[in-house]
Amino acid sequence: MSIPELIVQNWSRLLGGLAMTVELTIISLIIAAVLGLTFGLLSVSKKKTLRAIALVYVDIVRGTPLLVQAFFIYFGIPAALGLRLDPNMAGIITLSMNAGGYLAEIFRGGIESVNKGQMEAARSLGLPYSLAMTKVILPQAIRTMTPALINQCIITLKDTSILSIIGIQELTQTGRLIIANNYQAFEMWTIVAVMYFIIIMILTKISKRIERKMSYGKSKN
Amino acid sequence: MGKVKIKNLKKSFGDLEVLKDINLEVHEREVICIIGPSGSGKSTLLRCINALEVSSSGTIEVDGNDITNAADNELNKYRQNIGMVFQQFNLFPHMTVLENISFAPVALKLKTKKEADEMSLKLLRRVDLEEKANIYPEQLSGGQQQRVAIARALAMNPDVMLFDEPTSALDPEMVGEVLNVMKKLAKEGMTMIVVTHEMGFAREVADRVIFIDEGFIVEEGPPQEVFGNPKNQRTINFLNMVL
Ligand SMILES: Nc1ncnc2c1ncn2[C@@H]1O[C@H](COP(=O)(O)OP(=O)(O)O)[C@@H](O)[C@H]1O
Ligand SMILES: [Mg+2]
Repeated sequence: MSIPELIVQNWSRLLGGLAMTVELTIISLIIAAVLGLTFGLLSVSKKKTLRAIALVYVDIVRGTPLLVQAFFIYFGIPAALGLRLDPNMAGIITLSMNAGGYLAEIFRGGIESVNKGQMEAARSLGLPYSLAMTKVILPQAIRTMTPALINQCIITLKDTSILSIIGIQELTQTGRLIIANNYQAFEMWTIVAVMYFIIIMILTKISKRIERKMSYGKSKN
Repeated sequence: MGKVKIKNLKKSFGDLEVLKDINLEVHEREVICIIGPSGSGKSTLLRCINALEVSSSGTIEVDGNDITNAADNELNKYRQNIGMVFQQFNLFPHMTVLENISFAPVALKLKTKKEADEMSLKLLRRVDLEEKANIYPEQLSGGQQQRVAIARALAMNPDVMLFDEPTSALDPEMVGEVLNVMKKLAKEGMTMIVVTHEMGFAREVADRVIFIDEGFIVEEGPPQEVFGNPKNQRTINFLNMVL
C-alpha cells in the first residue's frame, strides 16, 4: 500500500495515538510546571536545606536516563510496594517528574537573570518576599524563560515516545502496532515522523509569536 | 526628636569590616548629605537603615522602631515608612510608569487601584512627568526614570527618604532635574539621608554633612563648616580631590 492509502486506512488509530501523545504531554507539563516552580523557588531560597532539597531532585532527574526513570516508576516502585500501577499513570508520573526537574533549573536561571535591584526595590517599598517574588521577579523571569520553557514543552512531547516501551498507546506505540500487522515499516515510520514534525512545527510557530509579543515597550493604550 | 538613631553600628562582609562604629542621629525634617570616597561604606550604611543589609551589631531605630531586631513582618511594615531611591533607579520594567507608582500601595492593600492611580498622577505631576503615565520605563531618559523612582518611593508616604547616589548614573545634563525634585522635597520638610557626590547640592540643601572614610564618621557639621573649614586631614584631602 502507498503512504496515502496507509494514512486513509489507519487515520483514526493514528489520530488516537496522537491525541494520547498530546494528552500525556499537556497533563505532564501542567504537573511539571508546579514542580518546576516549587523546586525553582526552593533553589533560590536563602535557606541552605531548601536549596539542598532542590539540588538533589534536579541532580537525580538530570543524572539518570528517562527510560530508567520510567522503568523505576512502572516496574521498580510497584515491585517494592507490591502493587500495580496503570501504565498511563506511571507515564504521567515519569514525565512530570522528569520535566519538573528541568523546569526547576529553567525557573532558577530565569529568577537569577533578574537584576538584584528589582528585589531590593520591591522590598524597600515594604513588600514581603512572596509578593515581591510573584509580582516583580517572576513576571520578568518568565519573559526571559519563554524560549527555554517552550523548548522543554517540545522535549517533553518527544519524550512521550519513550513511554511506548511501557505499553502506553501514544503515537509511537500506535505506529508499532500497525506495523506489526502490515509490515510496512518504512511507510509507517515516515507517517509517524511527519505527524510529530507537524505538531512540533506548529508549537514552534506559536512560540515565536509569543516571544515577539512578550518583548517590552510600546505604550499601553 | 530623633527620626533615625544609629548607635554603635558595625557591619562586616565576612572578614571585611565595612562599618566600624557608626553613631548618628537624624532629626525630623533634617537633610543629611553623606560624602566620602568610593568603598568607604556609604551605601552599606544606607542599606542597613532599611535592613537591605543585616547589621552585624549595634542598633538602628527609625521612628522609634528597632530595625535591627525586627521580625520579618515588622520589618515589612517599617520599610513602608522608609523610602529608598537607588543609583540604578530599579524601576519595574514590566509595568508602566503609573503602575510602578501605584504598585506597592495596591499590592499591600493600602489603597484601591483607583485611589492609587489618582495619587500616582498627583505624584507624577509633582515630578513633572504626568504625560508619561502610560509609558514603560525603558522609553524614558535616565533623569525621567529617576524622577519616577522618587515618585514611586513617595507613593508609600514615607517619613524618611534614603537616596544612594541618585544622580551618579545620569548623563550630566539630567542631573539638575533630579536634584531639583530633591530640593523641592527637602523644602517640603521631608527627612532625607542622601549619599551624593554633588557637593553643590550638599552645600545648598544639607542641614548637616557627614564625611565617612574607612567605616567611620570622620567629620560632620553644617555644610559651611565641613566645606569651608574642614578640620580632619582626611576630609581636607578628600575635598581637595573632588572640588
Ligand atoms: N554584599 C557585599 N559583599 C561583600 N562586600 C561588600 C558587599 N557590599 C559592599 N561590600 C564592600 O564593602 C565596602 C563598602 O562598600 P559600599 O558601602 O558600597 O561603599 P560606598 O557606597 O561608600 O562606595 C566595599 O569594599 C565593598 O566592596
Ligand atoms: Mg555606594
